[in-house]
Amino acid sequence: MKDKTQKFKDMFGEDIVRLSIIMLFVVVMSFASPYFMQMKNMMNILQNISLQGITAIGMTMVIITGGIDISVGGVCAFSAWIAASLMKGDMNWGLACLCAIAIAGLCGMINAFSIGVMKIPPMIASLAMMNMTRGLQTVISRGTTLTGLPESFQVIGQGNIFGVIPIPAVIIIVLYLLAAWFMNRTVLGRSIYAVGGNPEAARVAGIKNARVLFFSYITCSIFACIAGLVFVSRTNSAPSTLANNLEMKAIMAAVIGGTSVTFGGKGKILGTFLGVIIVGLMTNALDLLGVSAYYQQFIQGVMVLLVVFLEAIRSNRAAKKH
Amino acid sequence: MEQKIIVNMKDIRMSFSGNEVLKSVNFQLREGEVHSLMGANGAGKSTLIKILNGIYHAVSGNIEVNGRQVQIKTPKDAEKLGLAFVHQELNVCNDLTVAENMYIGNWIRNKRGLYDKKATSRRAKELLDIMGVELNPDMPVRKLRTAEKQVIEILKTMTRDAKVVILDEPTSSLNEKEKENFFGIIDRMKKNGVSIIFISHFLEDVVALSDRVTVLKDGVNNGIFLRGDYEKEDLVVAMMGKKIVGENMEPLTVREDAKVVLEVRELSSDKKFNNINMKIQLGDVVGVCGLLGAGKTEIARAILGLDEFDSGRIFLNGEEIKKPRPDIMIEKRAVLLTEERKLEGFVPLMSIRENATLSVMKKMSNRLGVIDRKKQKAFAEDISRKMTVKMSGIEQNVVSLSGGNQQKVVIAKCLASQPELFLLDEPTRGVDVYAKSEIYKILREAAKAGTAIVIFSSELEELLANCTKIIILKKGMITGVVSTKELTKNKLLSMIG
Repeated sequence: MKDKTQKFKDMFGEDIVRLSIIMLFVVVMSFASPYFMQMKNMMNILQNISLQGITAIGMTMVIITGGIDISVGGVCAFSAWIAASLMKGDMNWGLACLCAIAIAGLCGMINAFSIGVMKIPPMIASLAMMNMTRGLQTVISRGTTLTGLPESFQVIGQGNIFGVIPIPAVIIIVLYLLAAWFMNRTVLGRSIYAVGGNPEAARVAGIKNARVLFFSYITCSIFACIAGLVFVSRTNSAPSTLANNLEMKAIMAAVIGGTSVTFGGKGKILGTFLGVIIVGLMTNALDLLGVSAYYQQFIQGVMVLLVVFLEAIRSNRAAKKH
Repeated sequence: MEQKIIVNMKDIRMSFSGNEVLKSVNFQLREGEVHSLMGANGAGKSTLIKILNGIYHAVSGNIEVNGRQVQIKTPKDAEKLGLAFVHQELNVCNDLTVAENMYIGNWIRNKRGLYDKKATSRRAKELLDIMGVELNPDMPVRKLRTAEKQVIEILKTMTRDAKVVILDEPTSSLNEKEKENFFGIIDRMKKNGVSIIFISHFLEDVVALSDRVTVLKDGVNNGIFLRGDYEKEDLVVAMMGKKIVGENMEPLTVREDAKVVLEVRELSSDKKFNNINMKIQLGDVVGVCGLLGAGKTEIARAILGLDEFDSGRIFLNGEEIKKPRPDIMIEKRAVLLTEERKLEGFVPLMSIRENATLSVMKKMSNRLGVIDRKKQKAFAEDISRKMTVKMSGIEQNVVSLSGGNQQKVVIAKCLASQPELFLLDEPTRGVDVYAKSEIYKILREAAKAGTAIVIFSSELEELLANCTKIIILKKGMITGVVSTKELTKNKLLSMIG
């Protein structure tokens, strides 16, 4: 018996605040709105969080290395817009997506080069990349919105499996499981934690820090691109305002999920998933309750602060016990 | 004459998640004395001190300061009671001046309430003079050596009129000369009526400094010794419950035709070291000895490729390594135990399992890089048992281990890759006597099993007891190589000074 509770504590002890908040949301909302608990709404939530959800995976990895990447919004918008315009130019949609991913990968590589080789602070390096990608996207899009994309491409964002589960929901869950497994079980995943937790110790132990950073930043950019492609496919449009504020939303999800931005090496992919869910539930709840978008932003800010406070209290207590 | 008891800790009990760390410990500090607190890693020294500092809260027991019962809930409370703590990790602000560091948070103001730089500098100078420290109060602290920074930390306590100063391992990074200065400062503080709690693993320093020694063992008092009434060995017996000196320390012998694992030719790096030549054979344990700043750390780091060097050649097993890099060197089976355990030794948030296998993760994974958990677990269990790490299990966090056990995990990490060349930089700093002897045993066994070992150390006893020969380093140059047979500490001391 004692073993079981201990095991439960080991697995979920750190997520207790997040899990409670989700439970609270579900209970309160199921009374407040009859529509909330319906399968359709649940799937809707998963679909809505796909953009920041997928981006937050890469963001979590980068934050765990001890860095940050605020260029994800720009990279996402730039690469997804290019994919859309290639498709409009009658390119095969699969090939167009691959081109977008390659461009995103290149952006990530430049980020990693600045940070890992030139030793420029991650915030500055990715700020430059953000401006470059946002700027280019504005130039080539000239403020227009692309629509009317191939129907076969729209299936990614709008299709269902078994008629109920939207494909974006499947994509996001598969990517999270894959990333969590990767971070926990592979040499590279553990090296990301080691480099973030103590870069000098990692170097002394023979880990190639620069290589680990390259992998993390490239992955982060590619995930942002995938997120953008799914979004464009779902809405059948690539607006010039695509992925505005995406970087902040992704960082927010990671931080609510328990990833530390003050020092590297601390954070969990599944924590970020809970963070994304909390943000998704909150937005959905406010929508269902008919709260105006202006208030929503304010309430979201309050919510973030609240979660982070609760989390700080919990972890301070836990630290005292040891 | 019976001195007044200034700090009285009575029946202190403490436990962490059911694990009793202190079982009714008593500690009394008398006015104007230097009272040493000793014990093996894990005996409860740090816990007791953290309780006095208000970082931990005792489960039961009383603390009296100046005869009045007090509640110390936070470090701020301790400060108000006139207790000042100088931690092993220095907390100086590198970009402020010496004077500013001494008066930090306690700023001297002028009539208008603004910070008075001149008065700060003047008062600092007065204090420096009284304490016989030759330092310019207006110099930025960044330019000071570690030992000098430590002096600043100690003097900081005096600017706050602390009546009780607690020094945690203050001598661990000092060389012999700096130690003498340090002893002088302590003496002068005593004369000014300051009472001192001195926590140290260095028996000789404890014997030289203390008026009284309290020894803890497994969370209970295990003896109080008064100046002149005891021998060094008595302290060891009280700490360990057994004698360990001289155990298993027959001199090592190396076959003359043993292969040369490391050869360094004319290695130079501007302002760090110059024209370094050495040959290290398999199975040999060689010491590199020199004062702080003689270039020990720099040479070790250059060989492993952690820092660059200007010229010279490095050969591993006869093969020249043009541009050493840590990952290449580990692949070629050369490892380094770095001087800064906390900064470079381990990843704090990771478990013993992960830290011990940090450099061999690849070897326990498949082609896709997926780690075989079972293999990793078995390996970590096995190696931490061999290293006699005191732990609750391999999933325990390395930070929560005591210093000596942390060091054993770092050594385990180094030995995990089965090195042929093992460089160690200050391997036993901040490690208790017992753990020290265990570490020496591990090293000797590794040497016998076929590893070339080089110990870079400023601890002379350590080198004399373990090495076959010692390379003497002075201001970045090798000034001699001596066999440890019939070498005494004093002779060695005169060679490095």
